[in-house]
Amino acid sequence: MIPQEKMAVTINGESHELDVSVNKTLIDLIKDDLGLVGTKDGCRQGVCGACTVLVDGVPIRSCLELAIRCNGKQITTVEGLREVDSLHPLQQAFIDAGAVQCGYCTPGMLMMATAFLKENPNPTEEEVREALIGNICRCTGYTGSVRAVLAVAEGAAT
Amino acid sequence: MSLPSFDYRAPETVEKAIALRQEYGDDALLMAGGLVVMILLRERLVQPRTIINLSEISALRRIDLSKKTLRIGAAVTHSEITNSEQVRSVAPMLCEACGRVGSPAIRNMGTLGGSICHGDGASDPAPALLALDADAMVSGPSGQRRIPLKNFFRGVFSTELEEDELLTELLVPVPAKGTQTRFMKYTSTSEEAFATVTVAVSLLRKRSGKCAEVRIGLGSVAPIPMRALEAENLLRGKVATKELIADVASAAALEADPASDAQASEQYRRDMTAVWVRRVLEDMLL
Repeated sequence: MIPQEKMAVTINGESHELDVSVNKTLIDLIKDDLGLVGTKDGCRQGVCGACTVLVDGVPIRSCLELAIRCNGKQITTVEGLREVDSLHPLQQAFIDAGAVQCGYCTPGMLMMATAFLKENPNPTEEEVREALIGNICRCTGYTGSVRAVLAVAEGAAT
Repeated sequence: MSLPSFDYRAPETVEKAIALRQEYGDDALLMAGGLVVMILLRERLVQPRTIINLSEISALRRIDLSKKTLRIGAAVTHSEITNSEQVRSVAPMLCEACGRVGSPAIRNMGTLGGSICHGDGASDPAPALLALDADAMVSGPSGQRRIPLKNFFRGVFSTELEEDELLTELLVPVPAKGTQTRFMKYTSTSEEAFATVTVAVSLLRKRSGKCAEVRIGLGSVAPIPMRALEAENLLRGKVATKELIADVASAAALEADPASDAQASEQYRRDMTAVWVRRVLEDMLL
């Protein structure tokens, strides 16, 4: 019998009280228990970045975090980026820049870029590339993603 | 694949964590940032009865700077160190080293103490801490002990930490005025990869130009993070010249003890040790 604990967590602004197995990873809580399948499960080693979510605004790898350690915290997944009736500017910019091919890395990139622009609203191209260094894309070669992040930064500045 | 079953404890004080260590011994595994432990669990390389989570112990998450000593709690993350003005004011090399660990999200999770306790020769912060002459502060059932970091690493993934002890802080002496430091991580593949070689140097020159204090930390070129003591001895008390620096670099490469792996051969790592020790020292001294 796997030990269970009670936890409270806010995901995309919605509070949940849950019983979780202590050995459940955050990504499994998000996808399996809460049905938020936008977050992607890639390498499960912390390398690929597909599972990146924000915990209290900080991007982390949900595959390397225990759900129970997020008790009392605020989680944001890609589903939480969307504004009431429109896409988040980064989501729209990724579409406009053709930054999506298979799309598997996109949710992780979006979460990383969201946190990055909050901290650094006016970045250079090199800073964008450094911010996305841990988000592996095997289709587009990154130029689209970098262009999209820069476009949002420039748009916000004008 | 899901994780194996375990019990979970999250003590809020160092004392409670040590009591749990005594209770479970090697049936328990400590988790700070979780990066290493989660992978070991998933790969079934460890199967502990209990995970002791350290992230709720606020005493392990503090950075404190006094006149003589910078104290960094073992559960402070790499990102927190990189962004800390206190750390940057006395040990900018440590900010740089922590800023080169993996990628940004990894730095948000991984902790300085975790990196040290893992005892991995490829740790990025370890060579910087060695060059800064840091000590490890360890708590156990019978009190605290202070271990010079250069004596802390025992062998591959093995440290001086006993099964009922906890690393609580890294203590960095505030460098004397005029101390120069440099940190360099060289990767032959991509930036976020493990290093091929890491070089961290701290040195203090006298007015005469002689190198009074010299410490050279090396990473990824031995089973454990190491000091290049022979190389240091060659340089100490001397005025640096191009020729002397070349000899110092060769000595460092000779005392390195690298292994071949998928990223680099033993010989390549040794060669790169000589190249980067030479370049770093030339940059600092010529």
